[in-house]
Amino acid sequence: MPHAGPWLGYVALASAAIAAIILLHFLLRRPPLDLRTKLMLLLGLGVFPTITAATSTVAGMEATTHREFCGSCHTMDDHFENATNPDAQSLAARHTRNPFFGEESCYVCHADYGMFGYALTKMGGMKHVYYYYLGGYRGMSKEESRRDVHIAKPYDNKNCRQCHTTTAHVWRSIPDHQAMAAQLESNRVSCASPGCHGFAHPFSKGPDGLGAMPSASGHPAAEPPR
Amino acid sequence: MSIVDLFRKKAVAWLGKHSLVSHLRLACWVALVGLAVMAASIIDPAPLTVIFAMSVGQVIGIAAFLGFLVSILMDVVRGSDHPPDAPGPAQRFRESDTKADVTSST
Repeated sequence: MPHAGPWLGYVALASAAIAAIILLHFLLRRPPLDLRTKLMLLLGLGVFPTITAATSTVAGMEATTHREFCGSCHTMDDHFENATNPDAQSLAARHTRNPFFGEESCYVCHADYGMFGYALTKMGGMKHVYYYYLGGYRGMSKEESRRDVHIAKPYDNKNCRQCHTTTAHVWRSIPDHQAMAAQLESNRVSCASPGCHGFAHPFSKGPDGLGAMPSASGHPAAEPPR
Repeated sequence: MSIVDLFRKKAVAWLGKHSLVSHLRLACWVALVGLAVMAASIIDPAPLTVIFAMSVGQVIGIAAFLGFLVSILMDVVRGSDHPPDAPGPAQRFRESDTKADVTSST
């Protein structure tokens, strides 16, 4: 995961500005097409736009890991507000208050890990954009989205184990952990399930925060995470 | 006639009609659009602007740079006796056309 900081955005803007000045100078002042002009055009059409493309791509990818980016679609308003509420006690809120998660708490918990995790997470994010703009989510009310929008696949305990290694003495000394070690390993039981640590976003799991909300048809909208 | 031949014929005809300078000016305008799209994603990193910049914006930028490379090729092929702001076929194209005409007439 890149941590380039805001300076990369400034580099992108500065190189774009320099390229634009060179190009506009050529377009408006119409200098003779001598060697100097050709070299300036090489900078304006090749070198600086390449720097802009590279830095804006990294800066853009980094922007997609920020919580504000995830919360920029109205279907995520509730998740965003709950996660950033200093009084909330949901798993998401408590983890968001942890400085390690910081401004990227959505990404840190929901990213796929492994060698291709970053790319796979971004590809999964493209599906979210598709669903939002072309799949009807954009026109949903908050009540509809709370009822019908659910996590695409059951939450993987591996994401919890990136930090909670399950090998520490304190973790192993808890009887429930010992009894369900195999189920937790195989994802048959989720760490974030009622009776264990609770749903990460309980407001989306019905009025009591414990189960799936019925859809408009009266049936459960989606299978609750295990 | 294959699609490649058709494309090549149209490209040569287009290059013959336009001057080197007008070609470069077009590349510059296209590059400015690409730069604007990429800069917008930095200024307002919303989902659509970021995705648009990383896909369409970069394609526009690559198209502009390819236009610049084609201009360089035109400049090299035309030779120094052909003014850059004068339209018309490149020197080598004219020579080859002339040879082809001579061959067909004989």
